[in-house]
Amino acid sequence: MLVYYFDKTFEGLLTCIYEAYYRHENPDKILYSKPLQEDFLTESVSIYTDPEKSSKVYKAIREKISQQSLVHIYNVFLTELEDSGTWVYEYVKFGFKIGKQLDYYLSDDRVLRIVNTSRKVMGERHRLLGLVCFRSINNELFYAPIEPDFNVTALLAPHFASRLADQNWIIHDIRRGIGAFYNKSEWVLSELDIDPQNAELNGSDCFQELWKNYFINIAIKDRINPKLQKRCMPVRYWKYLSEMQE
Amino acid sequence: MDIFEKLEVLSAAAKYDVSCSSSGSTRKNTPGGIGNAEKSGICHSWSADGRCISLLKVLLSNQCIYNCAYCVNKASNDIPRASFTPDEVADLTINFYRRNYIEGLFLSSAVVKSPDHTMELLIQAVRKLREHYKFNGYIHLKAIPGADHLQIAEAGRLVDRMSVNIELPSNEGLRLLAPQKNKEAIIKPMNFISSQITQNTDERKHYRGTSKFVPAGQSTQLIVGATADHDISILKLSENLYNRFSLKRVYYSAYMPVTTHPNLPAINNPPLLREHRLYQADWLLRYYGFKADELLDIGKPNFDTELDPKSDWAIRNIRLFPVEINQVDYEMLLRIPGIGVRSALRIVTARRVSSLSYDDLKKLGVVLKRAKYFITCRGKYFGELGMNDILIRQGLLLKKPVKITKQLAWEQLSIFPPLFTPPQIEDSYTAITGEL
Repeated sequence: MLVYYFDKTFEGLLTCIYEAYYRHENPDKILYSKPLQEDFLTESVSIYTDPEKSSKVYKAIREKISQQSLVHIYNVFLTELEDSGTWVYEYVKFGFKIGKQLDYYLSDDRVLRIVNTSRKVMGERHRLLGLVCFRSINNELFYAPIEPDFNVTALLAPHFASRLADQNWIIHDIRRGIGAFYNKSEWVLSELDIDPQNAELNGSDCFQELWKNYFINIAIKDRINPKLQKRCMPVRYWKYLSEMQE
Repeated sequence: MDIFEKLEVLSAAAKYDVSCSSSGSTRKNTPGGIGNAEKSGICHSWSADGRCISLLKVLLSNQCIYNCAYCVNKASNDIPRASFTPDEVADLTINFYRRNYIEGLFLSSAVVKSPDHTMELLIQAVRKLREHYKFNGYIHLKAIPGADHLQIAEAGRLVDRMSVNIELPSNEGLRLLAPQKNKEAIIKPMNFISSQITQNTDERKHYRGTSKFVPAGQSTQLIVGATADHDISILKLSENLYNRFSLKRVYYSAYMPVTTHPNLPAINNPPLLREHRLYQADWLLRYYGFKADELLDIGKPNFDTELDPKSDWAIRNIRLFPVEINQVDYEMLLRIPGIGVRSALRIVTARRVSSLSYDDLKKLGVVLKRAKYFITCRGKYFGELGMNDILIRQGLLLKKPVKITKQLAWEQLSIFPPLFTPPQIEDSYTAITGEL
């Protein structure tokens, strides 16, 4: 079994596709981390990220398949699932054969799992657009911790950059230790390692109290339905919601 | 009264307004401004009753001069009364918005002094937001029935969506429960807004700079179960509203007994199922190309309690089925129970390049549990029951097999007095295989 390894960047993944094509090899898997224990049946090849090679693949996908496919691929990459690299490889390989009509092949597993997974990522992005909850720190900085399933911080930032354009904010992905920083003109993605329970990040905020108060009063007591509430807003998101704090 | 108490009173008073959506507007942020609108709308939380919270839904005031029997804010009701100033509302909205708690504001009000005066206060709050704070988020404003047309026209230029609540689906209902209102007074502002929207769309084709008028359209709300109206009259009313005034949404709310009055029905449980069926039918009207007459008629004025309206329609029109999934057109695909807009679109896309098998349908998200009775796939019928409407109806109503749980006690029958240990959970499995 032939396995390619890349460095967990999108460019790395595209370089793998490039190498597989030009080396005339057909890797069975494309993974982003080497297993601790190797076995003798697996031939492991590390692929070194090359921006030139990856940009060629990027351009080829956009021109020979479609812009939409490129979006799908990037979304699937963001899931950080173990199989995501392999799925992308098989999808692209099939795509170069089919061309622009690739996404019509929904009855093909290689296409369907990419489309479905991409939809899941967009779904989580959309859900978080609503559930990101900023805390005001001395009215100068707004800080929002999140723990998303997929790495969607980079997809969230443009939305808030155009919406909350006149305030400084940070969206902090605690699970991955990264943050999106915005300084009233542009946003950047960078590593961030702070504890959200930090006292400096938890000042008293009267609007937080007002919001909690509102949240309780807006529910109709005769129609309480926790099952529906949890279906729409899964409990894993509750940790950082202002209205759900004690 | 401080802002905490006011918010408590006025949000609790607003909770019976059902409208929650923040969709349909594409307002952009302006330089130095705050906020924008997202076309699809965004939900920001879900309250304990499972309804989404998208907008800050408050009344400006609950000091009402009217005395409508069904309403919690009626003048003769003994409840705490409060009023926000327009500035307070604007300030709350901005601060919630900065924390991403809300998508915008849904401002409504009880009628204070007069409809004109109330409308003026509402406009003040909205203007403060738009002009002073440069707020470009979503605003949904209630048009007060009886307010001057000029005021409604002014409000329409500031907000994204407006609504006029019909509340009771018939004139008799209004006479009985809200004698101070009449149908004409409610329809008039609705008609006005609708004609202004049409006019505005036309103007914007010729003059690019024209500001938008109620870009996200208008909606309304009906109470279900407070009067004796049948489902068919409610659905017909909605259909007319969609066709004549091009409303975006009609909301239905199951009647909750919040006050007592001799003209109000005494009920223990709100008619939630009826509300649910009306919403299902409403979707069929708007997205599935159904007509109200097809779903209900005089012989069957109310919805089936067991089956959803679409399955019910399909069974009554069983002569149209089964249809071949690889050939039938999109409009008919939408009418098959178990196939929704998304799976219909996927089927149409996927069958352009290859014919679909029965297993493919499952992968595409079709609910085969329902659809299998109404389709053929590559010429083969998978429904097992044949085209018999009674059998299919039973097939659709079949409940899921009961799961084996701890509550069910399984035991071996004995002719001797019981001298056994209480049955364990494993026994429930061995009871089936007979190795107890």
